[in-house]
Amino acid sequence: MPTTIEASKPESCEAKNGGKFSRRTLFAATGAAAAGVVALNAAKQWLSPKQPVFVAKNQRYDGPLRQTISDGLLATGFQPAHFKGKRVLLKPNLVEPTRLAPQLTTHPAVVVAAAAVFRDWGAQVTVGEAPGHVRDTEMALVESGMKAALADADLPFADLNYENVEWTSNRGGASKLAGFYFPHSVAKADFIVSLPKMKTHHWVGATLAMKNLYGTIPGIVYGWPKNVLHHAGIPQTVYDINASLPKTIAIIDAILCMEGDGPIMGSPKQMGLILVGPNPTAVDATAARIMNLRPDQISYLDLAADRLGPIDDRKIEQRGESWRELVSPFTILDAPHLRSLPADPTVLISKISRATTVTA
Amino acid sequence: MSDALELLRHAPCGYRDGSTPAAEPTALAALALLGANRFGDAQPHLQWLSAHQAHDGCVPPLGDLNQPGWPTPLAIVAFAAANHDNATATVNFDTEAAKRYLLSISGKTLEPSPQYGHNGQLVGWPWVDGTHSWQEPTATAVLALKSIGLWDHPRTREGVRLLIDRLLVTGGCNYGNTVVLGQKLRPHVEPTGIALVAIAGEKSDDPRVDRSVQYLLGALNNETTPISLSYGLLGLAAHDHFPDQASNWLEAAFRHVKYKQPSPLDVALLVLAAQGSECPLITLTKSPSVAAVT
Repeated sequence: MPTTIEASKPESCEAKNGGKFSRRTLFAATGAAAAGVVALNAAKQWLSPKQPVFVAKNQRYDGPLRQTISDGLLATGFQPAHFKGKRVLLKPNLVEPTRLAPQLTTHPAVVVAAAAVFRDWGAQVTVGEAPGHVRDTEMALVESGMKAALADADLPFADLNYENVEWTSNRGGASKLAGFYFPHSVAKADFIVSLPKMKTHHWVGATLAMKNLYGTIPGIVYGWPKNVLHHAGIPQTVYDINASLPKTIAIIDAILCMEGDGPIMGSPKQMGLILVGPNPTAVDATAARIMNLRPDQISYLDLAADRLGPIDDRKIEQRGESWRELVSPFTILDAPHLRSLPADPTVLISKISRATTVTA
Repeated sequence: MSDALELLRHAPCGYRDGSTPAAEPTALAALALLGANRFGDAQPHLQWLSAHQAHDGCVPPLGDLNQPGWPTPLAIVAFAAANHDNATATVNFDTEAAKRYLLSISGKTLEPSPQYGHNGQLVGWPWVDGTHSWQEPTATAVLALKSIGLWDHPRTREGVRLLIDRLLVTGGCNYGNTVVLGQKLRPHVEPTGIALVAIAGEKSDDPRVDRSVQYLLGALNNETTPISLSYGLLGLAAHDHFPDQASNWLEAAFRHVKYKQPSPLDVALLVLAAQGSECPLITLTKSPSVAAVT
């Protein structure tokens, strides 16, 4: 176990914003061991069959979400037996909740439905989150509506900001961090299910299943916000965290979403979708396309491409609905580092949205 | 109150009852016990903090980590309170080393940019060394320096300037930013409360200070969670406000905390909030009308 947190030198603003990386330059700087792992992963990706992603439309928070999620998991290759007796950690996004902006956080109905599916299949289910900004985790649970929902469903909650931690080596090697202190509930999980909200992100374009896993990192070691990660590069640390975690699964709450100045101050956008898949990179790439964003322009997806999973549509097997018929452009900020994101150049890029500005 | 103090007697404290010993709940429990004149009961907490202190003065957050050092200011305040009450006879905490450690930590500055609304050149204190400064670690550092008499230290003065700079124009503060990419952020009770404690007694005519008091007065209610409620009430008490309903809110919050598995952090903060303006976090740190903030 190292004696320091090993924060690297801060990246430039351009680097932080994810606009000026190439995978070649990034990985040229990493160690031989990490490069070997990455090369092996890349080879596996090319040899492996297409990654499945399931998309369901016409979804509602008061609808049969349990059935949808079960269908999605079964359609993307999972079987109930995979989860029997396993520890499953559900990780929603509760970044900076306010009950006045439900587009900010994963809806409790999605979390409860997912928990019911995994419980039915014999798993030990825990919900866990390390809210990125607020120190008062109970406040985050109350404001997001999660506290009451978890109590009703008799679901245990792990406060990942304050748990005991365990050291894990950085298996990605994109950032200079030697490893991560993961909370006990994360380190011991057999499956970590990323349950993000579909949102734009004003630094890196979009926050989906991969970025949501920043919330597996404990504030008690990394701060509120987890500034150590920011200084080590957001795209690189998103990649590294995903590479270093136990087996991950993605279930995206894309029913009520956020566009504009995400991930905190954006406006609500109704989509009515649920996305499910065993590979968060592939699921995020599909979600980005639905948002009319180019996956290869989202820097952490570009890093992950063919290492952690595919972002090329030809390498993704669509199950359920076709994403092409579901594309509904998300507005993004008119900022230089975001202008290359839209897939359709005719889409107007919004000015900063003030529609959801709320003061208590 | 006596029920609550009994829950705090077992040292060291974790974030949850029975979890790994942690510096923050242990320091705040010590402060709460000292504020209630339970000097003997605070001794085990102080002893643990002393034993947990690293050679460089740092007090890390968990028993088996050696950094980061963001709880160090809370330990300094706890020992300042103990020293004030001559309650440290059996404890060898190195306050001088803790002070040196604290002064060795500084936030990484940001070049002026239209992307941010705050003054990124103010140094303040980060959560983790080598990163940018934020509201709460700066507030606790300012409180620590004030608690050992360094009201006019240049770092204290700059810390106060940072805390006021990071208040939102409409009052209250976010965890640290004010405006990002042209968008004003939302205020939160917990960082606003602790920031107001840290700047209490400062001669500032910045209207955002009073607006922050008004924000807290409007934001607190009987649904406010224990940590936010406590810091919110402490922020108000430091500025001579104590809402009529505060006692009821605290009582309800304590019943709620006691009903579930009691968190020592929640209990300690509720006790400190119940002590109001007599809380050592305030009595030791409220500035004696130092130079005006510019």
